[in-house]
Amino acid sequence: MASVRETQKQGTRRKVLEAARELFNEIGYDETTIRAIAERAGVSVGSVFTTFASKADVLSQVMDDRVEALYAELDRVTRHLRGTTCDRVRSVFAIHYDFECRRVKLFLAHIAASFSPSLEATTIPYGRNSRFKAMLVDLLAEGVERGEVRADADLDLVLDTLMAAYAWNYRLAAQKNADATVLTAIMERQVALIFDGLRV
Amino acid sequence: MNHIPMRMNDPILRPQKLTRRAMAKQQTRQKVLQAAREMFIERGYEGATIRDIARAAGMSTGAVFASFTDKPDLFDAILGEDFAALLDPMKDAARTAPSARDALVAMFGAAYRAHSAQLPLIQAALAASWTRTPEAERLHREALRPLRALVIEVLERGVDRRELTQRFDLRLIADVIWDLYLAGYRPAAFEGLSVETQTDKLAERIDLVLAGVKA
Repeated sequence: MASVRETQKQGTRRKVLEAARELFNEIGYDETTIRAIAERAGVSVGSVFTTFASKADVLSQVMDDRVEALYAELDRVTRHLRGTTCDRVRSVFAIHYDFECRRVKLFLAHIAASFSPSLEATTIPYGRNSRFKAMLVDLLAEGVERGEVRADADLDLVLDTLMAAYAWNYRLAAQKNADATVLTAIMERQVALIFDGLRV
Repeated sequence: MNHIPMRMNDPILRPQKLTRRAMAKQQTRQKVLQAAREMFIERGYEGATIRDIARAAGMSTGAVFASFTDKPDLFDAILGEDFAALLDPMKDAARTAPSARDALVAMFGAAYRAHSAQLPLIQAALAASWTRTPEAERLHREALRPLRALVIEVLERGVDRRELTQRFDLRLIADVIWDLYLAGYRPAAFEGLSVETQTDKLAERIDLVLAGVKA
């Protein structure tokens, strides 16, 4: 049985993450202070620091928590994906854009933070999303089996290139307030370009 | 013989006075930029304060703020300088390459090499690029414009020489390659890749992107 203290700690954690998620997306990561997070969560600044090592750590945990919801959605959808491998890869990216653009400021902060030279040991920066990558590799490998993707294609290289294109397209959200529809349309053309070089 | 004092006394050249003030202002600006560059490389973006930068430049924080509105402004000015300085080496690298593909690899390789001594600065720049103000973003894009135009030029030349087809919009290809170039700074910063490995990895990605448009 969890001790009272443990239950309290979990409650604080949940409240802090919720408050931080809202604040990061409303006013931005840089502008959000630990004090403001504590205030909105209704806990003391000290108790934030007993649960998290730093603001970067809070951001990392917020992003880690969101993954559950995202993959619940993907698991529901991916088995129904139709069309060519190229189409299905596009759909996976479209779902990601749609999901991340719901709190786009939060996601941009997550990408920005991944370039920080001082990451905590507990911090998981953007770019380590293994489920996302595994899903795409599966689709690509299936594409090889279906004879839609060249058998000698370096799938890790393809994955890397697709992921880089996917991530850097968010700069349009940062710079021009592009929404999920715009990002998806651009990614569709980029995926088509890359797949064109992979044809058997 | 020193002719400068003579010119100062010449009433016809009075507008020089203004120029001299502008020159002094320019010198202050350069001093701040130099000091700031060293501080950013040494301590990173977050670690370098305007106070430290002013001290290193031998002036007051007020004098720094006379030239730059805030730290992001100062930082973007340094980046702008760096990217402007990349243009000539990138052009040279592109000119001597035998094909469009080789030109792209050579020019981005030259950029990686030029930046290799100041990866912390680039890392901070990439972090900042996601959260700029619209005005800062406009200025930054302006600074990059000649470099991005160069990528398109190289691709166009490839089409002219019948190395590449126009099955896809050249701008789309240029954008993807530009993003792949930028993405290449991350492993360099975090995994300590050499400039050569960094360039080789980019070359593989460029080949993948160009595979579909090869003539």
